[in-house]
Amino acid sequence: MSQASLARLDDTHKKFGQIAALDGFSLSVNRGELLALLGPNGAGKSTAISILLGLQNPDSGKAELFGEQPHSIYARRRIGVMMQEINLSPVMHGREFIAQTASYYARPYETDEVIKRLGIEKIADRPYGKLSGGQKRQVQFGMAIVGRPELLFLDEPTVGLDLQAREALWQVLRDLIHEGCSIVLTTHHLEEAEALANRVAVMMHGKLVKSGTVDEIRAHVSRKSILCRTSVPMDTMRNWPEVLEVSEDSGRIQIVTRDAESALRLLLAADARVHDIEVLRAGLAEAFAEITAANSNGSTE
Amino acid sequence: MNRETSEIVSPRVPAASNRDISEMSQSRVLAAYLGDIRFELVKMLRVPAFMIPTLLFPVMFFLLFGVLLGSARGNGQQAVMAFAGLGVFGAIAPGLFGFGVSLAFEREQGMLIFRQAIPMPSGSYLLARMAMAMLFVGVVSLLMLLLAVFLAHIPLTLSQCVTWWLINVFGVLPFCAIGLFVGSMVSGQAAPAIINLIYIPMAFLSGLWVPLQVLGSVVPALQKLATIWPSYHLLQLSLNALDQGSMGETSTHVYALAGFTLVFFTLAVRRLGGSGIRLFGSPGAAPGFPLRRAVTIGFFWLAVAFIVTGVLNGNAPRAATNTAATSKDATETGKDASAATGTNDSGAPVGVAAPDRAVVADFDNGSANTSYGIGFAAHKDGDHCSTASQLDQEIVADGADHSHGALQIKGNVVGDVQYPFCGTAFLPNGSAGTDFDKQPLMDFSRKQTLSFFARGDGQNYTVVLLTPRQGPPAMFQFTPGTDWQEVRVPLNEFAADDMKRVRLIAFGTSKPGTFDFEIDNVRIE
Repeated sequence: MSQASLARLDDTHKKFGQIAALDGFSLSVNRGELLALLGPNGAGKSTAISILLGLQNPDSGKAELFGEQPHSIYARRRIGVMMQEINLSPVMHGREFIAQTASYYARPYETDEVIKRLGIEKIADRPYGKLSGGQKRQVQFGMAIVGRPELLFLDEPTVGLDLQAREALWQVLRDLIHEGCSIVLTTHHLEEAEALANRVAVMMHGKLVKSGTVDEIRAHVSRKSILCRTSVPMDTMRNWPEVLEVSEDSGRIQIVTRDAESALRLLLAADARVHDIEVLRAGLAEAFAEITAANSNGSTE
Repeated sequence: MNRETSEIVSPRVPAASNRDISEMSQSRVLAAYLGDIRFELVKMLRVPAFMIPTLLFPVMFFLLFGVLLGSARGNGQQAVMAFAGLGVFGAIAPGLFGFGVSLAFEREQGMLIFRQAIPMPSGSYLLARMAMAMLFVGVVSLLMLLLAVFLAHIPLTLSQCVTWWLINVFGVLPFCAIGLFVGSMVSGQAAPAIINLIYIPMAFLSGLWVPLQVLGSVVPALQKLATIWPSYHLLQLSLNALDQGSMGETSTHVYALAGFTLVFFTLAVRRLGGSGIRLFGSPGAAPGFPLRRAVTIGFFWLAVAFIVTGVLNGNAPRAATNTAATSKDATETGKDASAATGTNDSGAPVGVAAPDRAVVADFDNGSANTSYGIGFAAHKDGDHCSTASQLDQEIVADGADHSHGALQIKGNVVGDVQYPFCGTAFLPNGSAGTDFDKQPLMDFSRKQTLSFFARGDGQNYTVVLLTPRQGPPAMFQFTPGTDWQEVRVPLNEFAADDMKRVRLIAFGTSKPGTFDFEIDNVRIE
């Protein structure tokens, strides 16, 4: 086992009835990285995480957490978990949940320290049932990090948070990574992955289809957007080679194309008065869309 | 486990320091377990809507049926029955509801899965819940105990109080297991309804509210089938602890309750395991360990056998003391027997030695007086011979051996109490104006035989020698015919400890219906 790999899935298969949730999926999480695990609904993300957390066993293949079986308590004492759709007891307080969780770990942070770090002093002593959705997520996040985990599993951590709270949580995540913690993030929020992730893994149909840094993933996508103000009719532009899409938003035209250079040449030739030109590389969102589109086409054949 | 042992025990772990990082001291693990119990306690205290009714229902019912109605009818027996029955009733709810409903909700809400992902110590959730249920029952039972002693004035010894309390506190466990099983099956919304469907009929059909005899007099099958309910077995243990008449052997009930606990617990664990929920941290990953599996299966079927035995034998009459006495003590002759076994020793001091004279009463002078103690009187105390029963005794002419008089006892036994017994009794060392359970005792251990003449209607009658010891007394059956006939009761075949502490000797019957018999020439020598 490589020393850097904290969690590893190796050629894992898992079937639920006829449906293969994991179909030879491999993944390893290295120390000090934030890995964003992306994929459309039903791609197998939650199954992969469940297996890494020891909640399910793979039908075949290998799963390891800190070199142990994932359900080993020794392994679990080194991870923190934040899941979706957890309803904690409404009568207990955030501070009590965090303190209880801390008692399960070998060298946890002080409860007060975590509360302060997350800036949730005001809500820590209120009944959980009286908190807003975002505040509940903050308490759950506190429970996830209080054990001083070496590896943190976060499932949609910022759903329901306002902008300010989300920024604060992102900052804590960046600090944790800086301190050497590794994070596995599953999110539908590509913006979040783009802002935080060192590495992105895209899953589809139970397989890993792309893996790399955010830049690598983005670079993989050839499409770019040209924004401009022009008098060239939109239908004309749509017939140019490699142009995928032309749209207008308050007078500004957006041309999505696989060959930005050709499109620019044609544009400049056709309209001498074109102005306000901007060329945008694809974001993670576009890249993700392209990757998933390509792979779902491939798989239907 | 320190570094060295970890290397020795698990050489295949790649880096020995790997586990050391997450190694926790035993005291920290213990603190985590205790913390979970405290957490559950705080949680419970913050939901008074669950706590107060569950706490107050049995107490309130006892106040109503045991204290108010019981004493209004002047029927101490009813108060004790209500005390036992409602005590068990109070022990069911925390188990069924505390486990079943909340487990069903937490299962739906994903909490059970979440707990598995975080390093909660193995089984801590179960343990905390169990501790809560036991604590809860402990409090309910304590409240009832206080009412029983100070309001209902039920005469209870300290050891009876403690035993009764402990029976309830541990008696909650089978209901925890059943609650766990129900909670593993149904949704949180459905759980309260389903559990009430079990709770209420079970309480009624196992005789917690209405004595089984009454139930059985309406539908006999219900009385027979009562043994299928765990609450029935718990009630018998409770009755036995309170020195009330109970059915079946103690061990049968204990095994049956253990069986119910194990079976439902195993089924629940299996069921939860099927949906990926492990109540224990132990890996479900290696199902291929055949020995563990075999042991589990073995225990499961053993537990099933316990339940079946309980169902079949749970309502057998308790072995009468005279058969027990003949089988046990007859083989162990001599004085050393009591020292060797010491089983029946109530701890009460030995009674006054019986007088040398043999004659107790001949009824020839027109009275039922005895040559020592307080003479024969109709034993109509309400506890055993209920107010509905009829009982008369009178001196009649034409005694045995053409003597002047004999004692006739007749009446009608109504079996509306747990242990009916109507007849005549004398207190060999009785003192007037003393409460019955403080009546002085007499030591008959040097006497060999109780003999008397009897005639009657051909039914079975019983001689009872009552001691302060709990449990069934020493008994001897006789069947008088129409002619005078001598009956000899071999006293030395009863437990020696019992014979040293005789409080009362009674002649009578337990069988409901009319009866009529005479006795004469009672001698103990």
